[in-house]
Amino acid sequence: MKALVWQGVNRVGVETVPDPTILQPTDAIVRITSTAICGSDLHLLDGYIPTMVHGDILGHEFMGEVVEVGREVRKVKVGDRVIVPFPIACGHCWFCQHDLTSLCDNSNANAKLAEKMFGYAPSGIYGYSHLTGGYAGGQAQFARTLYADDNLFKIPGGLTDDQVLFLTDILPTGYMGALNCDIQAGDTVAVYGCGPVGLFTIMSAFLLGAGRVIAIDRFPYRLAKAAALGADPLNYEQEEVLEALKLRTGGRGPDSVVDAVGMESHGLGLGGLADAVKQTTRVLESDRPHALRSAIISVRKGGTVSVPGVFGGFGDKIPLGAFMNKALTMRTGQTHVHRFVPRLLEHIVKGEIDPTVIISHRLSLDEAPHGYHIFKHKEDHCVKCVLDPWAAPRQGNASGTSKAMGAD
Amino acid sequence: MDVGSPLGGPATSGIADALKGALPGGTGKASQEQRRVTLILGGVLLTLGLRRVSFGGAALALAGGALLYRELSRQSGQAGAETHMAEVTRSITIGKSAAELYRFWREGGHLPRVMGHFAEITETDMDQAHWTVRVPGGRSLSWDTRVVESRPGELVSWQSLPGTELPNRGEVHFRPAPGDRGTEVTLRLHFQPPGGTLGAAAARALNGLVPSLLVGDALRRFKSLVETGEIPTLDRNPSARASTA
Repeated sequence: MKALVWQGVNRVGVETVPDPTILQPTDAIVRITSTAICGSDLHLLDGYIPTMVHGDILGHEFMGEVVEVGREVRKVKVGDRVIVPFPIACGHCWFCQHDLTSLCDNSNANAKLAEKMFGYAPSGIYGYSHLTGGYAGGQAQFARTLYADDNLFKIPGGLTDDQVLFLTDILPTGYMGALNCDIQAGDTVAVYGCGPVGLFTIMSAFLLGAGRVIAIDRFPYRLAKAAALGADPLNYEQEEVLEALKLRTGGRGPDSVVDAVGMESHGLGLGGLADAVKQTTRVLESDRPHALRSAIISVRKGGTVSVPGVFGGFGDKIPLGAFMNKALTMRTGQTHVHRFVPRLLEHIVKGEIDPTVIISHRLSLDEAPHGYHIFKHKEDHCVKCVLDPWAAPRQGNASGTSKAMGAD
Repeated sequence: MDVGSPLGGPATSGIADALKGALPGGTGKASQEQRRVTLILGGVLLTLGLRRVSFGGAALALAGGALLYRELSRQSGQAGAETHMAEVTRSITIGKSAAELYRFWREGGHLPRVMGHFAEITETDMDQAHWTVRVPGGRSLSWDTRVVESRPGELVSWQSLPGTELPNRGEVHFRPAPGDRGTEVTLRLHFQPPGGTLGAAAARALNGLVPSLLVGDALRRFKSLVETGEIPTLDRNPSARASTA
C-alpha cells in the first residue's frame, strides 16, 4: 500500500510499504477513505518528539471501512464505516473504565520507553512516535486498528467523511480544551492559537456557555476564521496581549485561557528568540512554551489555564510565581476521545457543530508532503488538509518522493 | 561467541589481588566466572536491544555493547569483588481480584507468554518449569525451577534446581489494592550465584538495568494478558523499513 512516512527531521514522503495484517484476535483492518494532517504531526516532522525512526508511517486522524476483523471482534463488522480515535483504548484497564482513554494502561507497546520520559506511560497512539507505542499511522491506504470493539465508532448513514473525520482527534480535543475551562455562563475565554484545535475550542466554548471568546493568533486569515465563528480576534504582533486582554475585560482578565498552540509557539522579543535557539538543539529545551507563559500571565486571578496544545519534553521559565500567587488551576492531557464522540456526534447530527468549516485543502495522499509544507509554513491560507488515500494526484502538487521541508 | 578460556590471564595488580584475596569472589576462578556472567548478560542486553527498532532498543544495545566491551577489554584480574546478589522488585496494579490473579499465574499456563520476552519456558507440571535464555553465538542458559511455596490468593515462589550456571529464584505476591483498583502484584527476581560471586558480577555489571526491564516487562505483559487477553505487539508493524517488511 501507499503511506506517508517520516524520513528524518523535516522530511516526509510517500512510499510503498507492506499492507497491515491482523496480529491480535481483537484487531481490525480499516481501508482508509479519509485522513488528515494534524498540527501535532508537525512536531513529529520537526523532530521535537523523540523516538521517531526513519520509515515510520504517520497519521492519527483517519476513518474508513472495516475490511477484516480478528476472530474475537464481536461488535464491529466487515463493511462498517468507522472513525478511529487517535488514542488506543484497551477498554478494560482502570483508566479506560473511568473514561480516561488517553491514559490506557495496556495499549502502549513501548510503555517502558514512555515511563523513562514521563514516569508513567500514556496510551498508545497511531503514527505518533515510539514513545506512544510505535504503531503504524493512518496517512496510508490501510491501517491495523487495535481492540476494535472498544475503539471503532460506527458512523450513522447520511453523514459525510468531512463531517465526522475530525471526531478522531481535533474536534474532541478542542471540546476537551473548552470543557477543561469549567466555563460558567457568560465567562470570557481567551484562546491562544487559531489553528484547527483553537477553532474547535472556540466553537465548543460558545456551545458550553461562554459569553465571549477572544481568539489570539498572528495570521490574519486564521483570525478571520475565528471571527467568523463569533470570536473577537486579537493579533499578538499588533497588540500586547496582556494589556489588550485587560482592556477588553474591564481590567479583570479572561476567566480562562486556552493554550491551543503547544510546544512550538512563537514568541516575540528576546524570550522568544532564546526559546527558538535552544529548541533547535533539541536538547537544551524541547518545547517552546511561549503561549503557555502568556496564558499564565494573562488569565485572571483564580482562573483556569487549559492546555490542549501538545508538549513533549521540557520547557523553560514557566512563570510559577504567577501560577501560584494568582491561585490558578491548570488542566491538560491528550484527549480522551472516546468519552466525547457520542455527544459530539449528536451535535453534528443536530447541526450545532459544523466541523467542515475548517477544511482548507483536499489533497491526494501523494500530495501529502505538499500538505505538510503549506500547513507548516502557513502558505496558501492553509488551515486543515484532508487527504484521500485513493485519489490520483493532481498536477502541480504531486510529490511522491522525499521532499525537504525547510526550517522555520 | 566463546566466552570462556580466551579471557583468562595473569593478574597485573598486586594491590588489587590482595584486596580481592581478602574478599569472597576475588579468587581467580570466581573472577573468571563473574566475567563470564557479565559477558553473557551483556550479550543478552545487546541482543534484546538490537531486536527492536527504537530509542529504547538502541539504549539497550548500547548498554549491552558497553558491558561486552568493558569485560572484553579488561584483564581478568581486575574484576570487582563485591558480593551483592542481583535482586529486582517491581510492582503493578491489575484490575482483577487476588484470587483470580493467583489462579492465572498458577494454573493458566500463561507463564511462557508472560516471560516470552526473556525466556522460553516449558511448564512440565504445575510446580516445575524449564527455562531457556538465548545468548549470542548460539549459546543458551537454561535451568529448571520448582515452586517452593504457594498460598492461594497471596503468593507463589519458586527457585531453580541445582546445576545451573545462574541460580535464581522468584516470587510473586498479590495484595488487594484500594477502592476499585484491583490487586497490587509484586514480582521479585533474585539471581544468586554459587558462592555469591556470579550474582555480584551480574548486579554490578547490569547496574540494575536489565533485571529491572525484565521484571517490569514481565509484569506489564501479565497485566495486559489478564486484563485484555493479549500482549501488545509491534511484530509485522508496517513501515518503510526493510527489516519490518
